[in-house]
Amino acid sequence: MKYVYYPGCTLYTKAKSLDACARKAAARVGFELEEMPSWNCCGAIYNTGSDDLAAQVGPVRNLAKASQLGEKLVTLCAACHNVLKRVDDRLYAQGNEVERDRLIAFVDEKYERRVQVMHYLEVLKNDIGFDKVKEKVTKPLAGLKVASYYGCLMVRPKEVLQFDDPENPQVMDDLMRALGAEPTAFDFKAECCGGYLVVNRRDVAANASKRIIDNARARGAEAIVTTCPLCQYNLDKLRAVTSDAVPMFYFTQLLGLAVGLAPEELGFDVNSFDPVPFLKAKGLL
Amino acid sequence: MQIPTGKALARQIEELSGQVVSDCYQCGCCTAGCPIGEDMDPPPSKAIRLLQLDRADELLKSSGIWMCASCLVCGTRCPRAVDYARIAEACRAIILRSRQSKVDPDTVTAPELEEIPQQAFIASFRKFSV
Repeated sequence: MKYVYYPGCTLYTKAKSLDACARKAAARVGFELEEMPSWNCCGAIYNTGSDDLAAQVGPVRNLAKASQLGEKLVTLCAACHNVLKRVDDRLYAQGNEVERDRLIAFVDEKYERRVQVMHYLEVLKNDIGFDKVKEKVTKPLAGLKVASYYGCLMVRPKEVLQFDDPENPQVMDDLMRALGAEPTAFDFKAECCGGYLVVNRRDVAANASKRIIDNARARGAEAIVTTCPLCQYNLDKLRAVTSDAVPMFYFTQLLGLAVGLAPEELGFDVNSFDPVPFLKAKGLL
Repeated sequence: MQIPTGKALARQIEELSGQVVSDCYQCGCCTAGCPIGEDMDPPPSKAIRLLQLDRADELLKSSGIWMCASCLVCGTRCPRAVDYARIAEACRAIILRSRQSKVDPDTVTAPELEEIPQQAFIASFRKFSV
């Protein structure tokens, strides 16, 4: 199966391992990500203003470009996913026909049809199936207690994202279980890490992130997985790294590890806290 | 763009945000769930109360509207479907459209640029800069 793939800017620079592991793991699991040509920035955050059309143009252009290539557009970065999904929803909101026509007419790419914006996790869950993913596991993550951190952008607003329960999402937990790991329940799965406030209020983002890590640890997690480069950054870099710090992974890194990617393909060198000794001690590397 | 005052300002906030502030019955779920609540002045429910009391001008001058990370917990948990994140964004939009920024991109340092994911910069500038 082949999917149109939108990586987004951050996956090309500061979150390369989120992207690289996803592409390689997809091949092992049985689908292919075909990157759409000439994509542009999604805008990084959805603008909610009722008259704010300019902010929608970039995402609409991506949706138009994708519509020429296939029916399903796959994203990985939680922020890109949130923006593209919400802009698509806005285009088709009842009573919004005039705005939709204006936006579609404005972009330089032909808009062929509505595409389904899907997150990589939704491909694994709905199109492939976690039972099939489990069959492809060559290195079960046995004994790894891992907390799945979803943050805001994957689950809210719930009626638009339609991804999972916004208070207690399970998709990544189910994936971790399929990979042989032990998902840890914790209280701040969908709590905000502070997001873009890190730019001008690093202290506030650090507080919000600390609460999340502390709770995951208190509930017994040995590691945390994320889907978002900014969550990953805030949780990983705004903490004081101590000898007993919890390693942070992108979910695609653990997926890649479990389906047999080589250690050098997993991009662990970009983690601020080297997880290799930890994984070796767990017998996973 | 001139910033309106009083009732005209409240009307503009409602229009831009698509929210009806009289729907709120002040249960406080939004403030209780806000992950930034302790640093946000006024917190969501109080901010909505200011609008209900025709004190929109006070809200526009507050620091609270610049503390929202758009995590949408407030609106998700609201039993009356009032989305405070949209209200805060409307307040900021009115200020930004009068050409006043909260965050100046020129103040970002080189090490920050090197380290922080660019999605944070784009989002921050979209929410807080002209």
